[in-house]
Amino acid sequence: MKGYWKYFLNKLGWFVITFIFAFVLNFTLPRLMPGDPVAAIVSRLAQGMSNATGVQAIYQQYAELFGTNRPMHEQFFIYVRNVFRGDFGFSFSQYPRPVAEVLGASIWWTIALQFPAILVGWIIGNTLGALAAYLKGGFDKVLMPVSIFVSNFPPFGMAVILLAVFGVTLKWFPIAGGYGFDLIPSFSWNFIWSVFVHYQLPFWSIVLIAIGGQAIGMRSMAIYELNADYVKFSRFMGIKDRKIIGYVFRNAMLPQITGLALSIGTMVGGALVAEIVFSYPGLGYTLMNGVMGQDYPLISAATLIITIMVLTANFVIEILYGIIDPRIKAAQSEQ
Amino acid sequence: MRNKLFFLLSMLAVFAMLLSACGTPTPAAPAQPTEAPAQPKPTEPPAQPAPTEAPALKPGDPLPRQETLYFNGLQWGPVVCWNPYSSNCNNAMALVAGDNARVTMFETPYLYNMLDGKQYPLLADGDYTWNAARTELTFKIKKAAKWSDGTPVTAEDVAYTWATHVKYNTGTGAGNKDYIEDIVALDPQTVVIKAKLDANGKAVNPLIVSAYVSSNYVIQKAWTQKLEQRTGGDAAKFLADTAEDVVFSGPYGPFYADETKVVLIRNDKYWGQDASMWGKLPAPKYLAHAIFKDNAAGFAAFKAGEVDVSQQFNANIQDLWLKEGLPVSTYLPDPPYGIGASLPTAFFNLNSHGLNLVAVRKAIAMAVDYDTIVANAMANQSATFKQVPRSLMNPTPGEQALYDHAAVKDLQWAGKDYEGAKKLLDEAGVVDTDGDGWREYEGKKLSYVATCPNGWSDWQAAIEIVAAAGKEIGIEITTNYPEWSVYQTVVTKSDAPLPAGYDIFMMWSAGAGPTMPWGRIRNLLSSEWIGQPSNWSGNWGQYKNERVDELIKAIPNETDEAKLKEMYTELVKIYLTEVPSFTLMYRPQNFHAVNESVWTNFPHQDDGTNPPVPPLNLIDGWSIAGLYNLTLVK
Repeated sequence: MKGYWKYFLNKLGWFVITFIFAFVLNFTLPRLMPGDPVAAIVSRLAQGMSNATGVQAIYQQYAELFGTNRPMHEQFFIYVRNVFRGDFGFSFSQYPRPVAEVLGASIWWTIALQFPAILVGWIIGNTLGALAAYLKGGFDKVLMPVSIFVSNFPPFGMAVILLAVFGVTLKWFPIAGGYGFDLIPSFSWNFIWSVFVHYQLPFWSIVLIAIGGQAIGMRSMAIYELNADYVKFSRFMGIKDRKIIGYVFRNAMLPQITGLALSIGTMVGGALVAEIVFSYPGLGYTLMNGVMGQDYPLISAATLIITIMVLTANFVIEILYGIIDPRIKAAQSEQ
Repeated sequence: MRNKLFFLLSMLAVFAMLLSACGTPTPAAPAQPTEAPAQPKPTEPPAQPAPTEAPALKPGDPLPRQETLYFNGLQWGPVVCWNPYSSNCNNAMALVAGDNARVTMFETPYLYNMLDGKQYPLLADGDYTWNAARTELTFKIKKAAKWSDGTPVTAEDVAYTWATHVKYNTGTGAGNKDYIEDIVALDPQTVVIKAKLDANGKAVNPLIVSAYVSSNYVIQKAWTQKLEQRTGGDAAKFLADTAEDVVFSGPYGPFYADETKVVLIRNDKYWGQDASMWGKLPAPKYLAHAIFKDNAAGFAAFKAGEVDVSQQFNANIQDLWLKEGLPVSTYLPDPPYGIGASLPTAFFNLNSHGLNLVAVRKAIAMAVDYDTIVANAMANQSATFKQVPRSLMNPTPGEQALYDHAAVKDLQWAGKDYEGAKKLLDEAGVVDTDGDGWREYEGKKLSYVATCPNGWSDWQAAIEIVAAAGKEIGIEITTNYPEWSVYQTVVTKSDAPLPAGYDIFMMWSAGAGPTMPWGRIRNLLSSEWIGQPSNWSGNWGQYKNERVDELIKAIPNETDEAKLKEMYTELVKIYLTEVPSFTLMYRPQNFHAVNESVWTNFPHQDDGTNPPVPPLNLIDGWSIAGLYNLTLVK
């Protein structure tokens, strides 16, 4: 157990170091983009303003308010202090909305769309991949090319095809929005049903692509494991097929779980393509607008959340690996 | 499988609950006045639906289609606030002050009509008057005008609004305080705007003073004081307040807003149903705008009849009625389908090598194929330069009448004149001396970069055509499209010469408004913008001409129409001779296409309205009159 403790501290150390670097980069990189975000805000204010000094006064006022006229290191320390208080400041692109409110308003849409989509895509994809590896024959011959074809589809293409076929031509599903264009959210069947039908096209546009990639990965891993020595040995031992398959898929699953954890970690970035094509609410589009409008606080906050989620997911997986995977456990105890 | 489906449905139910909890519904009706409107009901029955009888919306009920007017192309992100002092609310359905102010929720004393260039009273009672010296403008407030809390709108509200704008240095305050000394209330009904005077005791700019009355909202004094109290005199807090409790005088108030839509609801106690104003309520009970993420999504909804009024650029709009037989129409039945109001313009960087020569500038402008720009970039939704010859005026009849067409005829060009352009260059000695196919000036090849922001597809198409014109006349023009965030920072920095890569670049010009065409000309040509570190006004190519500056200074104080025409003609002459920039197309103030599946009787050319209702989506300036004319198809 001492070895494992060391392993844990080692990983924790890396977690902290990576976090510090990522935190500094989250702050610095957006601010290195060429251009001036305050100018964009002033452009909105200055429409129709007919005197020059007025525009300059407004510019100064906002540069002061957002602190963009201070040296970068000063801005950084203010940022650190505020972040530790849970304050991400005002969003530049949606000023005077605070960043927390901007993120809060769209994050539920993103999670509700991405989380089930990632999970469903992962489960279906892995099941199909495992079946293809195990059943081989016709199933594999059909599934493989289809998976390769579908997984290489640009997400944009898939979304537009679904939109054109099921939305515009067949009119089975609505083509835009998170719920009916004529509804006001309420806890009623009418509204829930509306959310459900509006959900379908963006959801499947993500799931279909995810299935292909997962199936291919799982199939290769499973084939590799099926040919491993321990499988042959188990067969010689007369262990039942069912039990062997259990071993095989548990082992084949490990890298897939890492993939799943990372997908969940990055899901907060939003499903940009699905959001744009279906005018679906969510963080992806908000974040893209933030990037275009050089909304430093918004970009930094969103990337910080993504960083924390990815790092945490990675950390948890590594810690779990240390416990689950006998090879890692063995490596640690040798030290 | 069944379990999974059940799981999914439960997830959605939870999700729906979360969303309904997250929304910020505002009370359906604002606090109602204790006293009834002063005037009796109009004799004419109000347009349907019967305003006061409509039952409240039950949870889960859709907005009644026959009582809701849907828009697109105005609101592109979630509403941020309802604060009429802020310019940052991103609240396009309620808050757009300016030349054609949006008057759904807040109201201006006058309504500007871009079709006849006149200002019609809204909160004001009758026309405004100038004193003999043109230093004071006086108008009265209608006795019937009321706030949504039932209290009367007074002259004191107008005066306090101005004082607050100045105190908190809002866009309105900062933008007007060089021209307006003060706004005072003589009595509860009478407002006097005192112009700022120059050294000679004359108003600095009476034109801007008179534009103020149709470009700026009147905000309630009592509510403003409440806001001041709440924010403790802190300007940043004052302007950042979301103002959910704001009191307004317009016919609509907030109903619902979230990440996907914004809905306004009619105030059925709206004062404007008084006989002294509209005599009835506007027809739609709800004004709704779904937030689409791009034009394609908005267009699909418009085609499907989920949007009634479309203020977005829909390419080949005519196909909707010609090929698809949809009940869609535009203000004009034929190209350009709308009324051009602004002049998207290509500016020359006058410091670039060779662009200091008039001949080179004019040759490039003459060689551009404008018909192709109009056809490709604007899908024919712009008048051509044969239909409306170039000047500094937009195509509205009012502005066209302001200059002497015959006097500048020889200076105007319609484009694609390669021979004329080549001749001009040859005469100026700008020729190809080394035989490489490109012309040289002072031994250096003429090579330019034409640019506009990336992703602004109509502008990019236009810039490509400008570049193609260069090739025809031996001037190398390449294109480059930086992101808007970079582009705007570079172009608006007028306190230094423009950097390389910005030789020919596109920006907008002002549209229609009460100070036009003077305001537009000032923006395009005045040298007062040079030297500003953040120049959002104009003259981005940094052109300087003393005579032009003199004329721009003199026009606002000139009242003699013949003299004005002379001055404008001279400006057009200088502009077309010196070519510091050139118009690439005419663009409407607003795109205005309507789907008449549910509502009809929208403004169209020659629709018999008097004064004519302009095609500004029925919510801007005088176009709000259109809301009172709407009827249901069935």
